[in-house]
Amino acid sequence: MRDQTLKYLLVVPAVLVVFATAVWPLIESLRFSFYQGRTDRGDFPQNWLGFENYTWAFLYEPAFWNSVWVTGLYTVITVALTTLFALGLAMLLAPGGKLRSGVQTLLILPFAMSPALIGVSFRFMFNPEFGLFDAFFGVVFPPLADVSWLADPDLAFAVIVMADVWGWIPFLTLVLIGGLASVPQDTIEAAQVDGASGWRVFKDVTLPQLMPVLAVVIILKAIFSLKTFDQVFMLTNGGPGTATQTLSHYIYITSTRYGQVGYAASVAWLMVIPMLVLTYFYAKFVFKKD
Amino acid sequence: MSEQSAVPTTGANSEFWTGKRKQRFWRMIQAILILIAAFIMLIPIIWIFLAAFKSHVEVYQLRLFFTPTLENFGTVFEQPYDLGAKLYNSTIVAFVTVIFAIPIATMAAYSFSRFTLKFETTILVVILATQFVPAVVIILPFFIMFRDLGLLDTRIGLIMVNLAIVMPFAIWMIKGFIDGIPLDTEEAAMVDGSSRLQVIKNIVLPMAAPGLVTASIFCFILAWNEFLFALFLTNREAVTLPIGLALFRGEEGDLWNLLSAAGIIIMLPMFILALAIRKYFVQGMTMGAVR
Repeated sequence: MRDQTLKYLLVVPAVLVVFATAVWPLIESLRFSFYQGRTDRGDFPQNWLGFENYTWAFLYEPAFWNSVWVTGLYTVITVALTTLFALGLAMLLAPGGKLRSGVQTLLILPFAMSPALIGVSFRFMFNPEFGLFDAFFGVVFPPLADVSWLADPDLAFAVIVMADVWGWIPFLTLVLIGGLASVPQDTIEAAQVDGASGWRVFKDVTLPQLMPVLAVVIILKAIFSLKTFDQVFMLTNGGPGTATQTLSHYIYITSTRYGQVGYAASVAWLMVIPMLVLTYFYAKFVFKKD
Repeated sequence: MSEQSAVPTTGANSEFWTGKRKQRFWRMIQAILILIAAFIMLIPIIWIFLAAFKSHVEVYQLRLFFTPTLENFGTVFEQPYDLGAKLYNSTIVAFVTVIFAIPIATMAAYSFSRFTLKFETTILVVILATQFVPAVVIILPFFIMFRDLGLLDTRIGLIMVNLAIVMPFAIWMIKGFIDGIPLDTEEAAMVDGSSRLQVIKNIVLPMAAPGLVTASIFCFILAWNEFLFALFLTNREAVTLPIGLALFRGEEGDLWNLLSAAGIIIMLPMFILALAIRKYFVQGMTMGAVR
């Protein structure tokens, strides 16, 4: 067989699978979003609504705006904290050696852990009666002793942030260690010979050269933060009330508990748009090298 | 901060903080920080391991020392929890997903790596983008379709949607591995009269084998830990391990010792697999953006 034919034949199955499992559902969701699509009726979807689902979300659903707010705040805070901690940890671990490479190996573990299980473990740790973190924070900051973390809206939000940051620091750290390794050592040494302080070397030499890698991890982390569902479901299930209800959780509740799949699809598509923007920037980094 | 060194410090203090002492001091501080970080990373995992071996009385105490028991690991496999069925579902779903995904991804990856295709960049970007689409968007049409086809709560349905998660990673990861295989052996074999398909079978596949194993393990972990699809699609028969965790949240609250035992069954195999491919984990997740 000639390569000219073969090269397309090899790609066809993969393209079909990706189309069937990702592109088609995406388009179908868009179609649903213009209909009344209730699951408690026999036929699906029902009436054509145009943009009514969208305007309904915008105008009449405080719960929608609440989840937009929760997701936005959650994304900004988790991206900032994870990146900062991971950068610090990467700087600490980058030099190598027995202790450091041992710790690097351990960093894989939280990342291989199912996010649902991370949610469970944090629920456990913050239990007001026998949770380890709860006891710890109670000692460090006595007003927090015996506080029911997950029953307080702000503290529950803090807990889902902590669980997320805990789960993602290892991965970002490993990526940034890779990034630090590719910063040419001689530029750092040259700056040190010139008498620059450790902080100046970091700020003026290391950081600018780390920027492309840093941008990639920030975009990637932002995408995963926007999508967050698993830990939230296991940890707080959106509560107390709707204090920790992310967009994904809101869509889950409206579609399964209330059977409003058409409406849920419109909210889901509002989520797709920022995602496409982030993907665009991400793709620019991936293809820049070629 | 940088001015500090310029300010003359007085007497004993300045003599104390010179040269080697200062360096050793910083090294110690760093080591301490690293140990603290490692401790924080491990503590929730250690705590689950401890709780899994505690009796249901001891789990409600903050004690480090206790009489370990294996009882919980037996209880989770008994009725009404029946974790064995979930373990079976998780294994089958993850395994079959990988069996389908890897050959299909390998074919495509070879083509992307070795040839120039029309719309190649577009196709690759679309594949990349599908990974970033929220799972909750993907699942709604499948939920409706499976409801109409009677595929809700089946392993087959779950395998189909899991391909959506696994395929982009598999394609990008394997493409990376094939990119790393030098072209000359392939070209030499072609000059000697081998066909392209023979070259793929006899040269590329054996050389890419470690990469294919790595990608398979990576995808297995993704499918194993998948949560949202299984939550939408299953309720009794096809329930997977992560969803099974919800079983231990009874009326009298969470059964932490059982949750922890189930947690170990979920995470321990993945820890072993992840450690086996740890060098490639980062490349896999970033899909070619970081090398």
